[in-house]
Amino acid sequence: MRYDATLKVNGRAYPVAIEPGRNLLSVLRSEVGLTGAKEGCDDSECGACMVLLDGQPVNSCSYLALQADGREIVTIEGLAGEDGDLHPLQQAFLDQGGVQCGFCTPGMLISAKALLDRNPSPDEDEIRLALSGNLCRCTGYSGIVRAVQAVAEQR
Amino acid sequence: MARLIKTEAVVEGRTEVRWTLVEEDSTPEWPADQPPGVVGEPTTRLTAGARLSGSARYTSDMQLPRQLEATVLRSPHANARLTSISLDAARAVPGVRAVIGPGDCPQFDGEAVLHDEPPYGGAAVAAIAAETREAADEAMAALDPQWEPLGFVVDLDQSLENQTFQDDPVEYERGDAETALAAAELTITSDYLAPAQLHNSMEPHCAVADWRPDGLTLWSSTQGIYQARSQLCGSFGLDQEHVRVICHFMGGGFGSKFGCGPEGVIAAELSRRAGRPVRLVLSRRDENLSTGYRTPARFSFTIGAGCDGRLQAVEASAVMGLGTGGWAYPVLEPVKSVYACEHQHLMTLPMRLNLGPAAAFRAPGVMEGTWAFEQALDELAEAAGLDPLELRRRNHTDVDPSTGRPYTSKRLLESYDLAAELAGWDARDELRSDGRVRRGMGCASQYWWGGGGPPAYADVRIGSDAKPVLTVGMQDLGTGVTTACAVVLAERLGIRPDQVTVRTGDTDLAGHGPFSGGSMTLASVAPAVRSAGHHVRTQLLELAADMFEIAASDLELTEGEVRSTDGTLRRPIHDVTEKLGNAWVTGSGSRAPNPDGMAVNTFGCQIAQVAVDTLTGLITVERVVAVHDIGRVVNPMGARSQVLGGILQGIGFALSEERVVDPTTGTVVNAGLEDYKIPTLADLPEVECRFVGEPDPELALGIKGLGEPPIIPTPGAIGNAVAHALGLRLREAPYTPRRVLEALQ
Repeated sequence: MRYDATLKVNGRAYPVAIEPGRNLLSVLRSEVGLTGAKEGCDDSECGACMVLLDGQPVNSCSYLALQADGREIVTIEGLAGEDGDLHPLQQAFLDQGGVQCGFCTPGMLISAKALLDRNPSPDEDEIRLALSGNLCRCTGYSGIVRAVQAVAEQR
Repeated sequence: MARLIKTEAVVEGRTEVRWTLVEEDSTPEWPADQPPGVVGEPTTRLTAGARLSGSARYTSDMQLPRQLEATVLRSPHANARLTSISLDAARAVPGVRAVIGPGDCPQFDGEAVLHDEPPYGGAAVAAIAAETREAADEAMAALDPQWEPLGFVVDLDQSLENQTFQDDPVEYERGDAETALAAAELTITSDYLAPAQLHNSMEPHCAVADWRPDGLTLWSSTQGIYQARSQLCGSFGLDQEHVRVICHFMGGGFGSKFGCGPEGVIAAELSRRAGRPVRLVLSRRDENLSTGYRTPARFSFTIGAGCDGRLQAVEASAVMGLGTGGWAYPVLEPVKSVYACEHQHLMTLPMRLNLGPAAAFRAPGVMEGTWAFEQALDELAEAAGLDPLELRRRNHTDVDPSTGRPYTSKRLLESYDLAAELAGWDARDELRSDGRVRRGMGCASQYWWGGGGPPAYADVRIGSDAKPVLTVGMQDLGTGVTTACAVVLAERLGIRPDQVTVRTGDTDLAGHGPFSGGSMTLASVAPAVRSAGHHVRTQLLELAADMFEIAASDLELTEGEVRSTDGTLRRPIHDVTEKLGNAWVTGSGSRAPNPDGMAVNTFGCQIAQVAVDTLTGLITVERVVAVHDIGRVVNPMGARSQVLGGILQGIGFALSEERVVDPTTGTVVNAGLEDYKIPTLADLPEVECRFVGEPDPELALGIKGLGEPPIIPTPGAIGNAVAHALGLRLREAPYTPRRVLEALQ
C-alpha cells in the first residue's frame, strides 16, 4: 500500500507515493533523484546520509519518509546559492582541505551548517563534539575543523 | 618511437618483472636550482566542487534506465554446507527478475563467487535482482536456505597446530642468526599480537553492470579499472574491446578494492540474465564480513645486539590470520630492511581460518610489522640503556640490507633530527609523572616503497579555448592524484591547474595504467603527464613562432601568456590557440622505468605524545609529529591531507579498531560502525607534519609516493609512548581501556 506525501526539498515540492516502510534517504535518492546524501551504513552510524529536517540534522537512512511529509528538508544540493556559488562552508571545506574522497562530505557539511545555525561562534571543542557523529576515513578531520572555524570567524 | 622494455617494480613488497611499452622521451628535467612554477604550491582539489555540492556521481549513485537492485544471501555460519535452497520460490516473488545460486555464477579470479559450502560467515551463496530493494528483500526471505553446520577454525594457534596454510610460508635467512644470537652481549625476546583492522571505506563495495549484446559496461568502486576489466574478461570469456569499466568518483578503498570484486561478477551475471542494468551495493555489515581486512598477526622476536645497541642478529616469526584469501603480506619487512643487521632468520606463516579473505590495507604487513618491531627495538634500547632515537641512529644503513643496493635517496637521519626537535624529544622524560594521568612520548621509523614505474600513459589535447584536457589511464580513489596531475601539466603549459580538465577512470579513454595502490600512482603517472604536456608545449611554441615570427627557442609559456625571452612579446596563449578553430594540438606521454640496481624507498619518523588516564584506562593521543621523506612534494595541501588521514587510521589501529570474532560461533560480532570503532573527530590530535625530502635525483620528476607512509609509524610510536608513560608495555593492540586497566593491575 502506498501513501501520497509531499516532500519539500530545498524549497521545491515533490509529490511522491511511497510505502510506509521506506526511509527518507532512499526516497530522496530514488524518487526525488537527489543522490548527494549518501548511504554509508543504513544504520545511523556514519552520518553520510544527513539532511536538515525543519533545520535539525537527522540521519535520513533511519527516518521514515512519510514522517517528513510537508516539512522542510534541506539536502547538500540545497546549500549552494541560486547562482551556483558555493555556500561559505563549502568554500571553506575546499580552501582548508576538508575534502578527500568526498563521500562523507555531504553529511559533514549538513552537520556543520546545523551547528553554525544554532551556535554561530562555536569553539573547537564544540565543533569536534557536534561533528563527531559524522565519520570520515580519509582526511584525518583537521581540514574539516579548520573550515568550520574559518566560517565561524567570518561571522 | 615506441619500444618494449623489460622492467622490475616492487609492488607492496613483491618484486614484479614486466614488459612495458614506453615512448622515447625528450622532456627536459626541471633545473635543480629553479622551482618549477606551480609544482610545490598548495593547490585546492580540482574535483572538490562536485564532491562539495553533491553532484559527484559515485558508483552507488548510478541510476540507469530500467536499473534493477541486487542483494546477496550470505552464510550465517562460520563453515557450513548448503543442503537446500528455494531459488524458484524467490523467482516467483513479484518484481524479481533474476535469481542465481551456487553453480550459476562465473568464477572470480579462479575462485567460486557463490558457494555451496560457504567457508566463512558472510560468504555469498545466492543473489537476486529485482525491481526494488524491497522486492529483493522479500525474495531473499523466500530462499529458505537450509544448512548443515561444519567444524570451523577461527583461532590462530589452532590453525597453526593443524598446519592449515592459506599461502606458502615464507622463510628468509641471511648470515647465521643462531650462532650470532648465542654470542650476542644483549638478548631480548618479546611477543606482540596485532588485531584485524577493517578498512571501512565510507563508500561500500559496489558495482552497476549493464550487459548488452555489444558488450558489458561496469561502473565499479575500484582502485584498478584495468584489473577489473581483465577479471571480467576472464570470468565471462569476453575480449577487452567488449568490456568497459568506469570509476569517475570513488569513496575510498585503502587496498580493499583492487579489481571488480565478486560484486562486479555477480552484478554482471544478474544483468546478463535479466537483460537489464543491475546495481549491487554491499551493506556495511556485508562489507565488513567479506571484503577484506588487515591480517591479525602474532609476532615473536629474539634480538641480539652489542652493548652499544648495534643489532647483530634477529630471529623472528609472524603467524598471520589470512582467513580464506589474500597472500603473505610483508609483515617482517621492517625487520629485514629498515636497519643494518647481518644475521637474520625470519619465518612468516600465513594461516587459513574460517573468516573472510584478507586484503591489502594501507601498508599491508609493513604497518603492523613496524608496530611490533619498533616496540621490540625500544625494549632493546631500554636493555642497552640507550635513548630510543639514538639506538635507531646507530643502526642506520646506507644500503638496502637485504640486497646491498644503494638507495636512490634516503633522508631518514634528517627525519629523526627534525622530528626530535619539533616534538621536544630531549625533554620527554619531563612529561612523566606518578599522577592519575600519565604522559609519555615514543618514536617509530617509517620504511616503504613508492617509487612508481611503468606502465603509465597520458594524453593531452588543447583546442581553441586554450583549456587543455588531460586524459590519464588511472582512477582517483579519493587521494587527490587528479589534482596533482593537473599541477604537473599546468607547469608545462604555463597556466593555472584549475584551467585543466582531467579525465580518468574509464578504460575506453586510455589504453592502460597503474592501479591506485602501493603509493605508486602519482610517481607513475606524473612523468607521463609531463611528457605529454611537453609535446603540446613544443607544438604551441612552434605555432606561436610562425605567428609572431620569433624563433620558438626564444619563446616561453608563462602565466597564461606566450612571452619572448627578451620581453618584447606578451600575448595570451589564447591568441595562438584560437587560430586552431575546431582542431586540437595533441601530445602523448608514457612512463620510463626507474634506474636498475637501486633501491627506491620512502622513509620517515613519527613521534607521538600520549596521555593515559590510569583510572579509566583511556588513552588520548595528544600530539603527533610526522616527518617524511617522499621526494618532491607536488601539492603540499594534498600531501598534508594524506598524512593526517594516515595518522588517524594508525590511531584507530592502536587504540580502538579490532574485529572481534565469537570463538563459540566463529562469526564476527562487530561488523557495524557502532561496535567497530574508527576514530571520530573527537579523537583528532594536534599534528605537526613536515617533509624533508628534496626531489629524488634518480627518479623521474623526483617524486615518490605518500599513500602508505604516514600510517606506518603511527601505531608503533603510540605503543612506545604508552610504554614510556606507564613504565610497562602492552603487547596486544588495540590499547582499549580494558587492556590498559588489566595491564595496570
